[in-house]
Amino acid sequence: MNSLFADHLLSWMIAMPFLGMVALAFVRERNAVLWTTLVATLINVALAVRLWIGFDPAQDRLQFVERVEWMPTFGIQYAVGVDGISLLLILLTTFLPPLCVLGSWESITSRLKAFMMLILLVQGAMMVVFTALDAFLFFMLWEVTMIPMYFMIVLWGGPGRIAAGLKFVLYSLTGSLLLLVGILGLSLQAGTFDIQLLAEHAYSENSQFWIFLALFLGFAIKLPMLPFHTWLPDAHSEAPTAGSVLLAGVLLKMGGYGFIRFCLPIFPEMAHTFAPVVLWMSVVGILYGGYMALAQTDLKRLVAYSSVSHMGFVTLGIFSFNNEGVEGAILQMVTHGLTTGAMFLIVGQLYDRTHSREIADYGGLQQRMPRFVAILSLFAVASFGLPATSNFIGEFLILVGVSYENFVFVVLAMGGIVLGAAYMLWMLQRVAFGQPRTEAARQLKDLDFREMLTVAPLAIAVIVVGVYPGPLLQAMDASVTYVVERLGTG
Amino acid sequence: MSIYTLIPLLPLAAAVTLALFGERLHGKGHRLVIPAVTVSFFVSVAAFVEVYTNGPIEVSLYRLLDVGELVVDVGFYIDQLTVLLLFLVTGVSTIVQFYASRYMIGDRRHSRFFAVTALFTGAMTVLVMSSNLLLTFIFWEVMGICSYLLISHYSDRPAAGRAATKVFLVNSVADVGLGIGVILTFLTFGTLDIPEILARAQAGGDFSGYAITILTLCLFSGAVGKSAQMPAHVWLPLAMEAPTPVSALIHAATMVNAGPFLLVRLSPVIVLSQTAMTVIAVIGATTALFAAVVSLTQTDIKRTLAYSTISQLGFMTLLCGVGAFVAAIFHLIAHGFFKAFLFLSTGNALAATERRIDHPEHDQPRAMGGLFAGAFVLSVIPPLVIFSGPYRDLWLSQGFSAANVALWIVGLGTVFFTAMYLFKSITEVFSHGPPGIGSSASSVAPRFYSARHVAAVLIPSAIAVGLLLVIWRWFADFLSPAVGGAPSQSTAGFSAWVLVPLAVAVVGWVVAYTRHNRPHGREVSSWKKRLYVFFLNKGYFDEIYDVFLVRPTIGAAHWMWQKIDRGVIDRLVVSLGTVSIGVARRLGSVDIAVDRRVVSVGTGSVSAARFLGRFIDTAGISKTVDQFGRGIDASGRAARRYEPRTLQHNLLVVVLWLVAALGFFYWIAG
Repeated sequence: MNSLFADHLLSWMIAMPFLGMVALAFVRERNAVLWTTLVATLINVALAVRLWIGFDPAQDRLQFVERVEWMPTFGIQYAVGVDGISLLLILLTTFLPPLCVLGSWESITSRLKAFMMLILLVQGAMMVVFTALDAFLFFMLWEVTMIPMYFMIVLWGGPGRIAAGLKFVLYSLTGSLLLLVGILGLSLQAGTFDIQLLAEHAYSENSQFWIFLALFLGFAIKLPMLPFHTWLPDAHSEAPTAGSVLLAGVLLKMGGYGFIRFCLPIFPEMAHTFAPVVLWMSVVGILYGGYMALAQTDLKRLVAYSSVSHMGFVTLGIFSFNNEGVEGAILQMVTHGLTTGAMFLIVGQLYDRTHSREIADYGGLQQRMPRFVAILSLFAVASFGLPATSNFIGEFLILVGVSYENFVFVVLAMGGIVLGAAYMLWMLQRVAFGQPRTEAARQLKDLDFREMLTVAPLAIAVIVVGVYPGPLLQAMDASVTYVVERLGTG
Repeated sequence: MSIYTLIPLLPLAAAVTLALFGERLHGKGHRLVIPAVTVSFFVSVAAFVEVYTNGPIEVSLYRLLDVGELVVDVGFYIDQLTVLLLFLVTGVSTIVQFYASRYMIGDRRHSRFFAVTALFTGAMTVLVMSSNLLLTFIFWEVMGICSYLLISHYSDRPAAGRAATKVFLVNSVADVGLGIGVILTFLTFGTLDIPEILARAQAGGDFSGYAITILTLCLFSGAVGKSAQMPAHVWLPLAMEAPTPVSALIHAATMVNAGPFLLVRLSPVIVLSQTAMTVIAVIGATTALFAAVVSLTQTDIKRTLAYSTISQLGFMTLLCGVGAFVAAIFHLIAHGFFKAFLFLSTGNALAATERRIDHPEHDQPRAMGGLFAGAFVLSVIPPLVIFSGPYRDLWLSQGFSAANVALWIVGLGTVFFTAMYLFKSITEVFSHGPPGIGSSASSVAPRFYSARHVAAVLIPSAIAVGLLLVIWRWFADFLSPAVGGAPSQSTAGFSAWVLVPLAVAVVGWVVAYTRHNRPHGREVSSWKKRLYVFFLNKGYFDEIYDVFLVRPTIGAAHWMWQKIDRGVIDRLVVSLGTVSIGVARRLGSVDIAVDRRVVSVGTGSVSAARFLGRFIDTAGISKTVDQFGRGIDASGRAARRYEPRTLQHNLLVVVLWLVAALGFFYWIAG
């Protein structure tokens, strides 16, 4: 019995959300639905901690590997396993959903059961994406994440939800078709879907370029990189709170993960060829996203544009091809998940009270909601990478990593951080300080216990990772070194 | 775990406790913070004794980062420089906390105030103790956010919120330079460990002069921000929005002192670049002179004090720029203690004069004369201090050259104006009450100018100067090892040079006195007026920044969002979709067939799901599925309303893509 659990820990973690969905089918009462989902997600957190404890950071190869033949005719397997890179993203994927459930506790009033099922479905699918060792499995579940997101946006979203949902689906589909093209291209040449074997195959000169491009675009749209980013502000701002959190917190990271898992190890030469373009696109994205955020009048949209800026840091780090850059990028993905997830949660709490996302409708919140403002300030400063919070470590590592390549990038990216400080603090000034601008803003209640419980774990995580990032960096060090060594120096 | 870890740990722990349990400890925050800061003061004294007897102490705590070539250890390096600053920081903080415990009684954000001031003190102690440049940078920024939180303390006032944002942003622009400087230091020296960097810089080696110059200027840019040097000086007067004890903290103990400290800490690196040294000296000198003149024209005593601090900081920077690092620190510490006293007594005096206006029966200006005189003496001493022993270094540091003479003249000019504005502001406030309120009798001679008061001013100042010269001799011996590698740390004794600045100060004083007693309403020439208005408006720096930097940036951001992001990028993608749809339409019959197929697949799956639902759980699942179906239906209908036939067309786009993809495979495989 023990071995059934211990040997298949990863499969249990993947199965947990789906088991939760099955359990949800049998409960009807509102509170029961909420508690069932919460328990299911919390069990997964416990399992993730167990996984982390069992994980050996000294090994650079995959651990907890499980393989089962699935479609032998095509050589498709159910194959999962974790290395240091997946481990961090899995921790993030398990950590956020319980908070999403808590955050939606009262704000979702219609079709609650379906909403909870969708949260679990997204979580389950993303667990597979981050652990899959089989390209087909990866692609399939990559697609699956899109569907629940679409329904979350169009069924529970804000006023512009239909258009936002469509845009999201259109972009995602385009991205995933390119991804499909890339993955099929890989397997047609290599004759396998096994990601490790794919990396060892030598591809023909001509196809390398096109397959790389297809994969790259697929991931770049998901991340999103600069010219493909316009779906993100719409989707993020129209989605319900939990949807925004999952979208910004975890879904975007599939793009960055794809770069590290597919693009870099499979096509090291192509990665080097593309790197200058990608690096320039990244810094432009950082500045552009920050600049756009400065212009926003809508709280969620502001946070969404800040995500574009932060994702620029991620690609900047990944394509600097050294330990500092790549580890910084992965850490940045995790910490962006924490801070931006938290920003959406806390903005959602405000939205629950007034049903307005306009910055101009608030002001003077410090008077009525000191706890809210304290938490908002913490995440706002963490979001632009104030030192001693988690984002700083990631950004600093990325900057050091990219400084080996070209110092111009460091200078420009620093400009992005200043922009970050500008839009976040300006937002804070307009929302929290001064006098309330509307009657509604004068009557607000401060955060209650449940709402504090929703954001407190994130607040603690942001500070702890900021002053003691050692364990996270250690966990991925060997795996990243392996990837970086494969890349060589070009 | 060394005992010296307690120095930052106690204030930080107090800050965290208050942040977490502030609501329960409301009104009692000082009971937590005062003991914490006091104990850390005593531990600082212990550290001072230990360093005095045994030399520098190194404490290592834990490894923050170990990635690739980058290794960052969190630890403390406590040498002569550190203990002197610790003495100042914890000492002044303790006094300020005692003062604040009275000042803040009844404040609505009592706990928040004490939590942040404790964090402020803690951050400054880590900054001066840090053994790693990254750690220095981290707490450099933490101080920045502390100042932000304190300036926005009275956040109900819109001005406070605006000031807080502006202060932080000015600092963060300057800190970009510091951040770049930190990374450049790592690239140049291969480490961020401060003792290691200093050792490598002193050992010399083949550093390119160009790189060192850039690096030093980047690091200096951070100092320009934190120490309010031109052109980043605009933030310090804005910081006055904070409660008065905070001003004392910012001006005397924390924050602004970080700039000169950083320059002195890294002095072996800085002296490698003559160009950078010159830039530092010029910026320091300009700031010193400009701010002194501006403070002469200000009518608000707190603003006068702010510009006076800027001017004094300019002095310290100037001293660093000419290589007189020991003198800079001496000035820093003297200035710190005196400025703290001045701020706290100003707060008291202002409160007292306000009371006096409200309740004329409590009019006892004579009884307060002692306090005024004390404030006056202490405020005139800092310029005297610099011009006694230390000033010789300025004179001798880099040989005799025209540039040095120029700096010397600037320095004396600053002394002159400093003496003038201090006299002016203090007599105005203390002998006539605050300007605007009952100050119509401004031509009346200052009341405390009796023989008794002159004696009260002169005797202590003479004693103080003598005492300071003795202290200076000891001080230079003590601090020299910490700035080893810096040129010409000659031990200065008493010399005739002391008399020059003293004389200049006295002249400034006399000029101010005669001007003060001059009858008003006299004709003033127009260029003088213009000059006065220019300096009264602080050189228009705030307005220039607003008109040429802030507004265009935000305006351009709005424009770009509307025109580029929405108008070009988004439209491009949408039109790409439209084009695909157009192509799809051409396919005609395929269109309809695929449309039907897709719809039937959809219907099929829904009915299959219904069937499954009935099979497994009629009540539960089917209801969900029904809801789903209805939801999808509704959204579909809504979508159709929103944009006719969009969904079908989207699916067609997808199919087109698929066809293209299949063609692609044939090509690759073949």
